Amino acid sequence: SHGIAGTWLGEMALCAKKRPPEEERRARANDREYNEKFQYASNCIKTSKYNILTFLPVNLFEQFQEVANTYFLFLLILQLIPQVSSLSWFTTIVPLVLVLAITAVKDATDDYFRHKSDNQVNNRQSQVLIRGSLQQEPWMNVCVGDIIKLENNQFVAADLLLLSSSEPHGLCYIETAELDGETNMKVRQAIPVTSELGDISRLAKFDGEVVCEPPNNKLDRFSGTLYWKESKFPLSNQNMLLRGCVLRNTEWCFGLVVFAGPDTKLMQNSGRTKFKRTSIDRLMNTLVLWIFGFLVCMGVILAIGNAIWEHEVGVRFQAYLPWDEAVDSAFFSGFLSFWSYIIILNTVVPISLYVSVEVIRLGHSYFINWDKKMFCAKKRTPAEARTTTLSEELGQVEYVFSDKTGTLTQNVMAFSKCSVSGRSYGVGDVFDVLGHKAELGERPEPVDFSFNPLADKKFVFWDSSLLEAVKMGDPHAHEFFRLLSLCHTVMSEEKNEGELYYKAQSPDEGALVTAARNFGFVFRSRTPKTITVHEMGTAVTYQLLAILDFNNIRKRMSVIVRNPEGRIRLYCKGADTILLDRLHPSPQELLSTTTDHLNEYAGEGLRTLVLAYKDLDEEYYGGWAQRRLQASLAQDSREDRLASVYEEVESDMVLLGATAIEDKLQQGVPETIALLTLANIKIWVLTGDKQETAVNIGYSCKMLTDDMAEVFIVTGHTVLEVREELRKAREKMLDSPHAVGNGCTCPEKRSSAKLPSVLEAVAGEYALVINGHSLAHALEADMELEFLETACACRAVICCRVTPLQKAQVVELVKKHKKAVTLAIGDGANDVSMIKAAHIGVGISGQEGIQAVLASDYSFSQFKFLQRLLLVHGRWSYLRMCKFLCYFFYKNFAFTMVHFWFGFFCGFSAQTVYDQYFITLYNIVYTSLPVLAMGVFDQDVPEQRSMEYPKLYEPGQLNLLFNKREFFICIAQGIYTSVLMFFIPYGVFAEATRDDGTQLADYQSFAVTVATSLVIVVSVQIGLDTGYWTAINHFFIWGSLAVYFAILFAMHSNGLFDMFPNQFRFVGNAQNTLAQPTVWLTITLTTAVCVMPVVAFRFLKLSLKPDLSDTVRYSQLVRKKQKAQHRCLRRVGRTSSRRSGYAFSHQEGFGELIMSGKNMRLSSLALAGFGARSSSGWLEGLRRKKSDSAGSPSAGPQKPLRG
Amino acid sequence: MKRTSEESQSRLPDNSALKQQQLPAYRLQLTATGVLSGFFATGVFCLGVGIILILSAKSIKEIEIKYTKICGNCAKLREDATNFDKECTCSIPFYLSETMQGNVYMYYKLYGFYQNLYRYILSRSNSQLMGTDLKDVGTCAPFSRSHDGTPIAPCGAIANSIFNDTIILSYNLNSSIPIEVPMLRSGITWWTDKYVKFQNPRSKNLSIAFAGTTKPPSWAKPVYELDQEDPENNGFLNDDFIVWMRAAAFPTFKKLYRRLNRIQYFTEGLPAGNYSFNITYNFPVTRFRGEKSVVLSTLTWSGGSNLFLGLAYTVTGAVTWLAFFSMMAIHLMLKDRKMFFTQQ
Repeated sequence: SHGIAGTWLGEMALCAKKRPPEEERRARANDREYNEKFQYASNCIKTSKYNILTFLPVNLFEQFQEVANTYFLFLLILQLIPQVSSLSWFTTIVPLVLVLAITAVKDATDDYFRHKSDNQVNNRQSQVLIRGSLQQEPWMNVCVGDIIKLENNQFVAADLLLLSSSEPHGLCYIETAELDGETNMKVRQAIPVTSELGDISRLAKFDGEVVCEPPNNKLDRFSGTLYWKESKFPLSNQNMLLRGCVLRNTEWCFGLVVFAGPDTKLMQNSGRTKFKRTSIDRLMNTLVLWIFGFLVCMGVILAIGNAIWEHEVGVRFQAYLPWDEAVDSAFFSGFLSFWSYIIILNTVVPISLYVSVEVIRLGHSYFINWDKKMFCAKKRTPAEARTTTLSEELGQVEYVFSDKTGTLTQNVMAFSKCSVSGRSYGVGDVFDVLGHKAELGERPEPVDFSFNPLADKKFVFWDSSLLEAVKMGDPHAHEFFRLLSLCHTVMSEEKNEGELYYKAQSPDEGALVTAARNFGFVFRSRTPKTITVHEMGTAVTYQLLAILDFNNIRKRMSVIVRNPEGRIRLYCKGADTILLDRLHPSPQELLSTTTDHLNEYAGEGLRTLVLAYKDLDEEYYGGWAQRRLQASLAQDSREDRLASVYEEVESDMVLLGATAIEDKLQQGVPETIALLTLANIKIWVLTGDKQETAVNIGYSCKMLTDDMAEVFIVTGHTVLEVREELRKAREKMLDSPHAVGNGCTCPEKRSSAKLPSVLEAVAGEYALVINGHSLAHALEADMELEFLETACACRAVICCRVTPLQKAQVVELVKKHKKAVTLAIGDGANDVSMIKAAHIGVGISGQEGIQAVLASDYSFSQFKFLQRLLLVHGRWSYLRMCKFLCYFFYKNFAFTMVHFWFGFFCGFSAQTVYDQYFITLYNIVYTSLPVLAMGVFDQDVPEQRSMEYPKLYEPGQLNLLFNKREFFICIAQGIYTSVLMFFIPYGVFAEATRDDGTQLADYQSFAVTVATSLVIVVSVQIGLDTGYWTAINHFFIWGSLAVYFAILFAMHSNGLFDMFPNQFRFVGNAQNTLAQPTVWLTITLTTAVCVMPVVAFRFLKLSLKPDLSDTVRYSQLVRKKQKAQHRCLRRVGRTSSRRSGYAFSHQEGFGELIMSGKNMRLSSLALAGFGARSSSGWLEGLRRKKSDSAGSPSAGPQKPLRG
Repeated sequence: MKRTSEESQSRLPDNSALKQQQLPAYRLQLTATGVLSGFFATGVFCLGVGIILILSAKSIKEIEIKYTKICGNCAKLREDATNFDKECTCSIPFYLSETMQGNVYMYYKLYGFYQNLYRYILSRSNSQLMGTDLKDVGTCAPFSRSHDGTPIAPCGAIANSIFNDTIILSYNLNSSIPIEVPMLRSGITWWTDKYVKFQNPRSKNLSIAFAGTTKPPSWAKPVYELDQEDPENNGFLNDDFIVWMRAAAFPTFKKLYRRLNRIQYFTEGLPAGNYSFNITYNFPVTRFRGEKSVVLSTLTWSGGSNLFLGLAYTVTGAVTWLAFFSMMAIHLMLKDRKMFFTQQ
């Protein structure tokens, strides 16, 4: 089943009416009548905006909220005033209607799809308990207070209070990756009184009432009370199943709906979608305002001119043309002519600009959708541009914020290598770091595990010598795998004989236990007191004496088992840094080889664990067990006392070896990161995962390297600590000899040519790792700039243990202060806020949940496609959009300014130079398609060059191709063209006569000459601007010229004139004017004079100051940049730096859970008399320890569970 | 939800050149050879055309005589509209030192007369001028109807302000007897104007056809009396009227008035000698500080005298060549430098 499609699309609207804010929520089970009183939101999601009836009025209303549309409406109204109108009404209404229609069609299509996805989500089936029986109901009919049944692997439909489940003690397992990005399984438990409500008849009678906090967005807290049978039961987050989670390893469970639809925590967290605008949009709006200002200025100049002219000349000319009745003075005439000129000159900002921009972006998004190279064959998902309005911004990205799990990594742990008593096995990944397949011949066959009927088919290992060692009976190898099969907290499930399923709480452990399973040490089953392992085919049952559980400080876990022979042995696995200090010092040689291996593994970015064991004699164990019991019963500082007891036994251990687990990266991640870094894009990883894991991934995807001078780790718990740590980091960076200047500072500086290199020099050296709780302080108003400055000076920034909200805050911070374009990429619901906050949000598709995709602007299934999206599509989009805008402003200024010059020769009477049909059609027919073709298809360099020379991406980041300066250049060119366009024909026409002696300089001939030369000049200009002449460009450019002449001759034909003599006044003009050699000589001269300087200027720029793209285009030889790239990608060899790449995405407390037997089916533990144990503690402990170790700042104080 | 294999297959984007942005295309590059040879060729072309144009403009003979001041008393008389019925003539003798070879055209030229004003240009009724609907004067404001509401024919400001001087050129063959130079008053309009745009109402008798309309306020005669000798040149089809109705683009303009009928003494053109213009001065220009002149001119292949175009072409050609040489120099210099660097 696919995610909760469409539910958290933008523009959240409730199906229900708006309600006053809630103060507390009351929901009584199985009592819809009671719950209806409160009018809680139903589980129905509505993201659509219109229905058939409201579409037209609402859509038009929305469209006229756009300033541009209102402006054109205003112009239209102006044109209806006869005293002012200097153009026919249709010159504005035709484009306006066209624009409104196109937008309306687009909106309607979008809304149709929203309706469809709403329907799909709302009609997803869930089983609701109604009047004592389970009924299939669509999601939208689920109400607060309903009891619903969930089955394994189903999405939770709403925020539920867990009532009971198939597992003992009302436990159930959920995967919350969609919510918070954490990959390990979480356990939830029903409160004891309801956990017995297993069957429907009892559930139907359940009439408890939940009173709890109003809807909020805090994912990790919930406080409420259940009132039932006159008792009160406190409720906490531990009892809640949140919408967006997936039920795992649990056959079924029942839950009471507490929050539904828009009130669910997930929805509350997803925030409101802001309408995203690109920086070009904003620039365009500014420019359009400037142009309006310019327009008013010109209007004023011409109006003053008109007033003066009427006063000096017009007043005497009244015998031939009396003033209009309404006009009584030259001043009033000037006032009217102001408005007339506003109408005439409005074409400097043609309405078609906005439509064309949309069309081009639409084209670009289709190219993204169509790109085969961004199609993931495995998941069968093409890339998808979900927003069609951001494409050129993809070419300007400076900061990429990436999630880790599921985005950089596959969330698959593979047992990759191991070191057994000084010998290293395993050849690691078959793909080397460059992503190329290892050369043929080198590649070994995967190990054949067919000897083992219990082996996991999906497990692969590439070194058969290990299996041989095991088969040969190497005692070290046996002990190694025995440890792996015993020392863990995995639960097994065997549905049929030999069909083993492991429920691993962390994927690392799952990988280790699976490895042991395949190598012949199959963990089969466990009870609270025993572990059964099939060792090379024979079942051996170990007595489980103790689990020395993992926690963040210990960074290790141990088990103490008694084997069938009665020998007691402690098996321990843990982080190398911790464990190597606790080994027996004797075999120094083994220690040093293993250390070498560990370094090698860590250097490859693998997650390592060291394995060790220790024999305990009965007597010692007895004493120790006693001490442990005492420690665990202690009232005060129980934790510390237990820790020291554990510490005592975990010493003088014998080294067995080490494991290396590969947190499988998505394909091509390191190359992509390297390439993006070369393109001057900064990559920040924001993850909810632990610091160690995140740093480890940082190394394996080459964000962090050993070349780095230092990796600053900020873990301070208080404001002062964090400030101090940041200050120290900055000092170090400034002290270093490489730092010439403070690299970060302001983005304005960066645009000057030299600085980026300095910045790079500094940035190359350092990395910053910051923890969630430190980040909370760093993001406070008084420290955020310090943090930003420090972080920006680092090449890589990793934020770990961050909440979804913090992700968004970091993005907002960079957005606000760096004025840079940000891109956020992620796959889970925890990334939604960041995806929405960033300028561009990218969702990784093809996963189970699709919340991130739904919130995103672009989606594809592999991180590596990001390079293509940015460097190819983004770059081209930006280039095309800039070229388009330059040309568009140019052509309209050239077109419009002619009227201005003509004003000085026609008494400022608002006479147009062109025929009104030409004015109507110029922008929508004669010149629209060639520039659209350029805007959609243009390419400066072939796509592979953009990858080879990532520096080609820089102009976009620095905003070089279209900015205010470029705009003024275009405007100047346009005005220059308009001057020549007017004055050359003027000079010619003033004197010349036709070749039959008759007058040449009549108004209509002049209009046709200027119009024709204008069309030709702008066509030549688009021809020069088009760098990539496809057949389509040819067709459009030649076609536009042909259409111009065709329409010209048609409009000037006798037939049309006979029908509408007053509308088509130009009869016979085309053939009479265009037959004159003088006219053609004029047109040729105008074209040459307009175009030659442009060509000369471009040629000189090319020779004197070529861009990188020019160089790339003109020479095939420059390969310098590429070398740099390869050097950067080169595999980092053995490293001397020591890292603890230890593999535990693990949560404390599971050991206790196992020893209590709480999570085991009663049948399987019938024999075990574990009841004596105090069972209250484990869950509380689990929760408390988690919140301690996470230290997540949003985890507020929680009431202890009494229960 | 499991997708069927067909469905998922269809999600694979087409491998078409268009969709993969791999359309075969010509990459436009400004190569040195292309640009430089283009500049060179343009320079040659412009210079060539410029010189030809200048030469042909030089070959044209043209005489212009401003007669507003010369006929100052007439101008004064016409400033007062009440004197409309008083005739005023004025004779301007001049000497033609060289023969004007070939066809000679006579123009009247107005200075400061704004035929291109927005409201002026609109003030006409094409459907009336087509003869189909004489009563259609809707677009003719402010000269659509007379005071009593009778539609004006031809209506509108353009028609009302028609140039109504008569200019007669006389040739003094001997010092005593002036001969009127034979002039053609036909063939001075566009074919489309005369045969499509302007039509008289269908009727045997024009005066009947125009019944129910009145003459424009400044006209002395109704439209059907414009040329009573030649019915083909009368009413809306009058050539002078049609020429006037084709509004000029600029406030200073000349319109063709007559062309030389090359008979008798004038088969070769206008011989050198003494001439005079006999002008009946009707058209007031001093009111709006305008001027009138009469122009005699010959023609070449490109039309009348047009020094501007020739000069513009020559200058453009020269500048293009200048640009060509400097670009060439820069290009060679850079090439040398590049080679110098690569050698090192």
